[in-house]
Amino acid sequence: MFRKVLIANRGEIAVRVIRALREMGIGSVAVYSDADRAGLHVRLADEAERLGPAPSGESYLRIDRILDAAQKHGAEAIHPGYGFLSENAEFAAACEDAGITFIGPSAESIYRMGSKTEARRTAIAAGVPVTPGIDDAITAAEARQFAHEHDYPILLKAVAGGGGKGMRRVDGDSDLDSALRDASSEAERSFGNPEVYVEKLIERPRHIEIQLIGDRYGNMIHLGERECSIQRRHQKVMEECPSPLVAGDPEMRRAMGEAAIRAARCAGYYNAGTVEFLVDQQRRFYFLEMNTRLQVEHPVTELVTGVDLVKLQLQVAAGERLPYDQEAIGWRGASIECRIYAEDPANGFLPSPGKLTRLSRPLGPGIRLDGAVYTGSVVPIDYDPLLAKLAVWGPTREEAVDRMIRALREYDVGGIRTNIAFFRGILEDEDFREGRLHTGFIEEFFGRYKPAAPSREVTEAAALAAALHTLSRAPAAQQANGSRRSAWLQTGRNELLR
Amino acid sequence: MKLLVQINGQAQELEILAPEPNCRYRFGQGDERAADIDIPEAGAYSILTNGRVYEAHVEEMPAGLVVVVDGHRFEVDVQDPRRWRSKAGGRGGEGVASVMAPMPGKVVRVLVAAGDPVEAGQGLIVVEAMKMQNEMKAPRAGRVLKISVQAGSAVAAGDVLATIE
Repeated sequence: MFRKVLIANRGEIAVRVIRALREMGIGSVAVYSDADRAGLHVRLADEAERLGPAPSGESYLRIDRILDAAQKHGAEAIHPGYGFLSENAEFAAACEDAGITFIGPSAESIYRMGSKTEARRTAIAAGVPVTPGIDDAITAAEARQFAHEHDYPILLKAVAGGGGKGMRRVDGDSDLDSALRDASSEAERSFGNPEVYVEKLIERPRHIEIQLIGDRYGNMIHLGERECSIQRRHQKVMEECPSPLVAGDPEMRRAMGEAAIRAARCAGYYNAGTVEFLVDQQRRFYFLEMNTRLQVEHPVTELVTGVDLVKLQLQVAAGERLPYDQEAIGWRGASIECRIYAEDPANGFLPSPGKLTRLSRPLGPGIRLDGAVYTGSVVPIDYDPLLAKLAVWGPTREEAVDRMIRALREYDVGGIRTNIAFFRGILEDEDFREGRLHTGFIEEFFGRYKPAAPSREVTEAAALAAALHTLSRAPAAQQANGSRRSAWLQTGRNELLR
Repeated sequence: MKLLVQINGQAQELEILAPEPNCRYRFGQGDERAADIDIPEAGAYSILTNGRVYEAHVEEMPAGLVVVVDGHRFEVDVQDPRRWRSKAGGRGGEGVASVMAPMPGKVVRVLVAAGDPVEAGQGLIVVEAMKMQNEMKAPRAGRVLKISVQAGSAVAAGDVLATIE
């Protein structure tokens, strides 16, 4: 096993990896940008190295500086987390060239699964169903012909894409040209590659994905599925294991698991990875893409299977064999995760960076909180505004939902806006509770969502607290003669009055 | 002490008869009520009233107070009519300064006339709100340019009462 590992990431995932390393007695090296000197991952790590200024292009994406840091600190392996360089084949290759183990698949596998068209080809070769589509970059004429063969709606997607960037739905010939132009220029801006391909759009699909892990000796198992249909702008915000659709259908889980393993094997895959599927209304599943890294939502799988994915990643990266086979994997109860973001749901989910003035965390039975914030910490504008992942486990999905509502009620974050109250709305929604999910759920939900009005008693409690707070902060002498007291004197007086 | 509380845009009168920990208060013309108040952390108010517990988190934001109770978010502005301050539209000695009403009320008396020289802090207009009279003062020395109200006028929050140059 490694003696020291560098984490080429920040935020909650860096903290997650440091925790696994510490439990395994492995030294940790954090890296940080100027915005993150006080980040929790730096505070918790054994060693740390500055990478550069806040923009990720000058820090967390600098392969050269990360490798220098690993060599300087004597790290034998690098965990890339998710995002940043985690799915960058060039980075994986550079690590191996420098004699440092990349904790993930080979550069070759990343390449084969990293490009969506390449991944589709791999899936087709493995006999895994894919949505009808043209795998290569297309022209407007080719897209039109495809639409006439397979009927609208169709979906245009960036060849080099991800996260919904460069993606456009087209419902008819009249929208096609402008949609192709938009998708292409967005793809160019986001990924430096304007190429766009086309797929048949599956209406009201579910997003269900299979977690895999394999060792370097060809052993690979799946850890079941996660349902990630609760998305906004194609970004997952809530995930669960098992999927309410698959939970009662072991045959479907087996079929999806085996298909995912076939696709991954075809790419010579090892370490942790996730194969994403779209599932239509008839429960048919279609290969969507493969994420060649640890997923944000991995905790729900861990809670239901009892497997520690990060530790397994470290073990197989160090050359160990998978400690168990498929038969050893079982699924117990239900788990749900909410991604707590610094954003304002009432204002188009606009990011709300800033300083956390107050933080009360949910505690008690069945709660898991993966976060990297503390009272006084600053959510920088430079990165994804994820504050924490709140996951719960319950013996049934219904109990997990109720537990999540309870946990969110205990969760209080001051100083910035968050989506905490919004999740409570979703969890109390009848369609959600019944498990009637699809990737357009949030959009539809917004149409019927009426934030619960506070009771008169709650409103009066708020008024009373505000009044008492104001009185304690505004001593009578303050404005007596219009003179301003020094801030120090005023603070001292306020403290005395408290 | 009578306060005017604007809570999510709704104004209500709240009289604090005794502060924490053994708080007594009254909303508008309602009955006097009692609440046991504990402040376990800065900004956290545990309110025990009528056998029920409410936890309120109060935060001072640039635009005013934000209070969260049971996941509900309230934007709150608390005004103490006895300590009204003139909201001066202009600062310093240059240009024109406006004196605005910080909350709705009724003009009782006008103490100066257009053209009068005034000192900083001199009373200009008396406004009554919630049965209390409040003197609106000159934000700085100068000359009264215009008096925009007269005795008996009803004013809304933000209305310009007078300008000084």
